[in-house]
Amino acid sequence: MKYDNTREFIYEELLSKVEKPGRYIGTEWNSIHKNPETVDIRFAFCFPDVYEVGMSHLGMKILYHLLNDQQDIFCERVFAPWPDMEEVMRKTGIKLFGLESRDFIDSFDFVGFTLQYEMSYTNIVNMLDLAGIPKRSGERNEGHPFVVAGGPCAYNPEPLYDIVDFFMLGEGEEQLLEVMELYRKWKSSKGTREEFLKMAASVRGVYVPKFYKVDYNEDSTIKSIKPITEDIPGKVRKRVIKNLKGSYFPDKIVVPFIDIVHDRIMLEIFRGCTRGCRFCQAGMIYRPVREREVEELVEIADRLIQSSGYEEISLSSLSTSDFSKLNELVERLVSKYKSSRIGLSLPSLRIDSFSLKLVQEVQKVRKSGLTFAPEAGTQRMRDVINKGVDEEDLLNSVGAAFETGYSSVKLYYMIGLPAETMEDIQGIADLTFKVVDRYYRVPKEKRGKGLNVTASASSFVPKPFTPFQWEPQDTINTLIEKQRYLQKAIKKKQITFNWHEPYVSYMEAVFARGDRRLCDVLIKAWELGCKFDGWDQYFDYEAWMQAFKDTGADPDFYAARRRELDEVLPWDHIDVGVTKKYLRGEYKKSLKGELTRDCRTACTGCGINLLQEGGVCK
Amino acid sequence: MMHIRLKFTKGNEVKYISHLDLMRVFQRALRRTGIPISYSSGFNPHMEISFGAPLSLGVTSNAEYVDLKLAEPMDVREIQRRLNDSLPDGIRILDGIEIRENHKSAMSVVSHSRYRIRIFMENVSSDELTKKIEEFAAQKEIKIMKEQPKKGFELKEIDIKPLLVSMKLIESKEDIYTIDCLLLSGSSGNLKPGLLIKAFKEFTGYDIQSIRINREQVYGLKNGKLLDLLEYESAEA
Ligand code: SF4
Repeated sequence: MKYDNTREFIYEELLSKVEKPGRYIGTEWNSIHKNPETVDIRFAFCFPDVYEVGMSHLGMKILYHLLNDQQDIFCERVFAPWPDMEEVMRKTGIKLFGLESRDFIDSFDFVGFTLQYEMSYTNIVNMLDLAGIPKRSGERNEGHPFVVAGGPCAYNPEPLYDIVDFFMLGEGEEQLLEVMELYRKWKSSKGTREEFLKMAASVRGVYVPKFYKVDYNEDSTIKSIKPITEDIPGKVRKRVIKNLKGSYFPDKIVVPFIDIVHDRIMLEIFRGCTRGCRFCQAGMIYRPVREREVEELVEIADRLIQSSGYEEISLSSLSTSDFSKLNELVERLVSKYKSSRIGLSLPSLRIDSFSLKLVQEVQKVRKSGLTFAPEAGTQRMRDVINKGVDEEDLLNSVGAAFETGYSSVKLYYMIGLPAETMEDIQGIADLTFKVVDRYYRVPKEKRGKGLNVTASASSFVPKPFTPFQWEPQDTINTLIEKQRYLQKAIKKKQITFNWHEPYVSYMEAVFARGDRRLCDVLIKAWELGCKFDGWDQYFDYEAWMQAFKDTGADPDFYAARRRELDEVLPWDHIDVGVTKKYLRGEYKKSLKGELTRDCRTACTGCGINLLQEGGVCK
Repeated sequence: MMHIRLKFTKGNEVKYISHLDLMRVFQRALRRTGIPISYSSGFNPHMEISFGAPLSLGVTSNAEYVDLKLAEPMDVREIQRRLNDSLPDGIRILDGIEIRENHKSAMSVVSHSRYRIRIFMENVSSDELTKKIEEFAAQKEIKIMKEQPKKGFELKEIDIKPLLVSMKLIESKEDIYTIDCLLLSGSSGNLKPGLLIKAFKEFTGYDIQSIRINREQVYGLKNGKLLDLLEYESAEA
């Protein structure tokens, strides 16, 4: 059968052969379609995971419309084709294409990846390969797109240093447009690739790895990371939007045809977090805290409901309870949308009696279960990680929940935390039992039927820019031993215990704190067939180990080694605002089990207020 | 309160979205239009909207039906206009009527569907094809292995002959042939056009590529007559 063009061929031939063609249609409501002839810049916004995951991501939604609001830019979405699609693409010689135009992205100006988790890195390599774009920066020439990346994992960009041409660090709303402006200039000047990279490096927050040189010590640690010329900044500082008030938020969002992970309006109420949990990277890298105003939020919600037709709004932030005007916001949204049956969901809420009332007011399915995150089992351990809840708080909260009829709760814990002992592991079981006991203390006629407590234990992964960035991860064997212990200790018919194989967490720990030498490992692993590593059915630990062997790199050097406090870290030339001095102090305090208060009440000196935008923290 | 039945297309642009997806598309489009749709009462209220016979993935249609219950009356043309402004490309409301409150649901009255199947095939003349179709349809039994989605896609042999009402070649042009067929469709028997083509392929051994399958019409049986689902509601009992 002959088709008029590739666009039609993909649609008729390829899509009819895959399991979920709805992932690749590209004409969803509110998707943007422009005539490629009439634009100057074509941008492929790539999410290195499957459609359903990528489309659930708020940042992508914002930047997609931000770019397309520029008349001369056509930004299209690209997700990692699921293996069934990849197979038919490779068989028929169809390269990776933008969903909207179905044009191959190797002819675009930019191919941008958002880095949300380390285990998506092999998908980046695979997507470049499918696109027919050279995998290494140095192999690209003037005819190729610039490969760029941003997102939380970009704060340690080094494992991707030879793949990505440049990184954009921090919040992209302003920076991205500045880079586009420079690109327009460069394009009309007909300059070289190198020249554009130089121009881009002048934008604050842009990191061009090739302009930095890394030297190593004999013991394989890093000796220095230095710019190769004087006009390149020694440290790249992340960008933040000074004030969220009036900052960009699209009037419409793409409404997918198929069901996705988070299929609802995500209303970003604030950025940042002041709690200072020591294991939490998000809590450090997204500082400072900035709230949107209730008035503006209500307006945004209204516009999005009108333009999307969604039936649910979810408040999005790191910690919903910390929004200073939560009550007011919830009241306004609820009263506004009650009659039109639009639901409101409040994720990442700290459950106390106050929030319980809120939840009951808004949640449609009332008894669906509540989530608590004690993170650790003993007070000692919670003090180490600066998780400011004690047992009494937790038991009061679950007690209040049980008293209002909830009978299903989820408890999130981590194992493998710094200086953890078997007592702390036993503590997880003990605390979970106390939750069970608390249920039985509620009079029978008051409590809901059929108690079900789910305890999940994830393996701790030390992350850059946290006080635990110097800490080793537990070895796989230790983690397994702790899991086995806990599994036995926690056995009870009302408790469901969940845990993950620690192999993925180990690879995450390697790449989270990896350096440039891991780039070869990554490409090797891809050659050995690794992709979709975040998906159990595809993660191939043996292949990864083979990749380390073949390239001569030692994964334990990255995951299982304790760093000296004065060691040069692979991300030392990146400045996220929170200072290394502060992190060091927090680390030392953690060893003594000393707490650091929530800096909402008084500044604890993390350094973020010294960023250029200044004055964001009161 | 008012009940409406609408007839709409599911064009090539949306042929890959499932029945469930289509329901969501309508619910969201309705919300965008502000049409005063009625909600069920109860703990988890949902829009009072129901669809006719589901279409297989990849099949287009000129005759899909949806029933709406409105909380307040509204002109049917106005509903049609608003929805057409709010539905994605490929879905067009063609017509609509007000229906009785105690109507039978579109889903329950469907008995037959008429499809046009366009196929691509080389080295077969249209006379030969016509003959083969006649032979195929005249068989006493037409046995075919069918996947059973509810039983882990286990294969089972079924006879589709009682489900096939008519089948004929209606057009041929440069290796592209159009076949018209009337198939049972509904609770008393349901034949998907894809399965029919599979059986025909096995019968003839032809290398057939199916290009497009389009549902032309959906019927309900009333007083011995096949009526489209709008006529069905307006016709006297
Ligand atoms: S500068 Fe002070 S107030 Fe601001 S986030 Fe850091 S510790 Fe908190």
